[in-house]
Amino acid sequence: MKLKVWGARGSIPAPGPETMRYGGNTSCVELTLDDGSTLILDAGTGIRNLGLALPRVERPIHILLTHLHLDHIQGLMFFAPAFRPESEIIIWGPASPEASLRDRIARYISAPLAPVEVRELPSHVSFRETEPHEWDIGPARIRAQAVNHRGPTLGYRIETGDTSVCYIPDHEPGLGAPLAQLDDDWISGFELARDSSMLIHDCQYTDEEYQEHLGWGHSPVSDALCFAQRVQTEKLLLFHHDPLHSDDFLDSFCGRVSTRWAELGGRDAQVELATERREIVISEPTREPAHTA
Amino acid sequence: MNGQKPLELILARNLLSSISTPAFLVGEQGTLLFFNEAAAAMLGKRFEETGKLSAQEWTSEFGPFGPDEEPIPYDEIPATLAVRDSRPFHGNFRICAAGGEHQDVAASAIPIVGPEGSSGAIVIFWPVIDDSDRRQPGDAVMSAGGERGEAT
Repeated sequence: MKLKVWGARGSIPAPGPETMRYGGNTSCVELTLDDGSTLILDAGTGIRNLGLALPRVERPIHILLTHLHLDHIQGLMFFAPAFRPESEIIIWGPASPEASLRDRIARYISAPLAPVEVRELPSHVSFRETEPHEWDIGPARIRAQAVNHRGPTLGYRIETGDTSVCYIPDHEPGLGAPLAQLDDDWISGFELARDSSMLIHDCQYTDEEYQEHLGWGHSPVSDALCFAQRVQTEKLLLFHHDPLHSDDFLDSFCGRVSTRWAELGGRDAQVELATERREIVISEPTREPAHTA
Repeated sequence: MNGQKPLELILARNLLSSISTPAFLVGEQGTLLFFNEAAAAMLGKRFEETGKLSAQEWTSEFGPFGPDEEPIPYDEIPATLAVRDSRPFHGNFRICAAGGEHQDVAASAIPIVGPEGSSGAIVIFWPVIDDSDRRQPGDAVMSAGGERGEAT
């Protein structure tokens, strides 16, 4: 399984000279499965470049949305395959008692926010609320689970063989309770991320910034690292960078992350900050968890 | 999913941990999944000491107790019946408080219903206040479905 980051920014696109290296596009990750099929995790503005780069293929394109906040769906309207009649696009997302997934997304892809309506898209687009249990897409087994964020929000686990990616870009598992003191089964997202080959996880705030953003649905670095350590992931990709965090800030932040990770017993090579256009081949597990303490 | 608690229970526990009103988090089959520090002060036992307790364990230890001072079986507690019917309940109970003394409290039980159905209930405890001089004839404390309980 191969992963490519097309957008790692949180909240709002943050283009500009100060975010050139980590990137300013919002959440979008491409997973290429062993049979060549593509899964797209979230449709933030990063999906626009992904759409331009995707070859024209006959197989369906699956987009797995964690939730419908704008920074996770804004790119849908600019996803080139959606405007090709031959494309088949299947959009998965969280159910809500309030309205169907299609109707909720149509609030964005409709007037006055957009010049077209969902029904006018020339491609074959369908919407599916995620299953309460696992399901298969090509060679991948998918699991979705509700996680702690504002509004109905999912994390995903994608498994092929012994390899697994867990994607929880918006997550505040430590809200109201210190993570380190909770039993495993009381930690939001724990089972989803447990023993994953790679965990892509929210790390929007420094610990100091978090004090002003408690309950906003995002993790401070300490909680992101603690969560990764608790679930014993093989590799951690910190994600959903705050739009105020410049490249220079994130470089410096990365140093602090490494120090904190080492204090928790992790190894340097196994945690990094997500960078736009970064490609990672996810290999079979080494059976040695990232946390060694 | 290997024992992972549903998100609504996780959030409910986090809420209870953060409030200063005594409260229980009760799961399926009446298991007492968690009680907060305020409840610990009321009961004289901390959750860290007891861990989770089966319905039979916590009712025999903490109550509620009937007029004969015997624990009311979990399946017969009015709040249980209301919550199983997805209704809230409010009423008075006699419990075993810190020091072993039986004491009257008021309790509000609120069902927790998630995307996959009922996953438990929050029970919040209040001091019993004698407001008989403020009540009007016919007032009663209710379970929302109309079942009348003992007025507080």
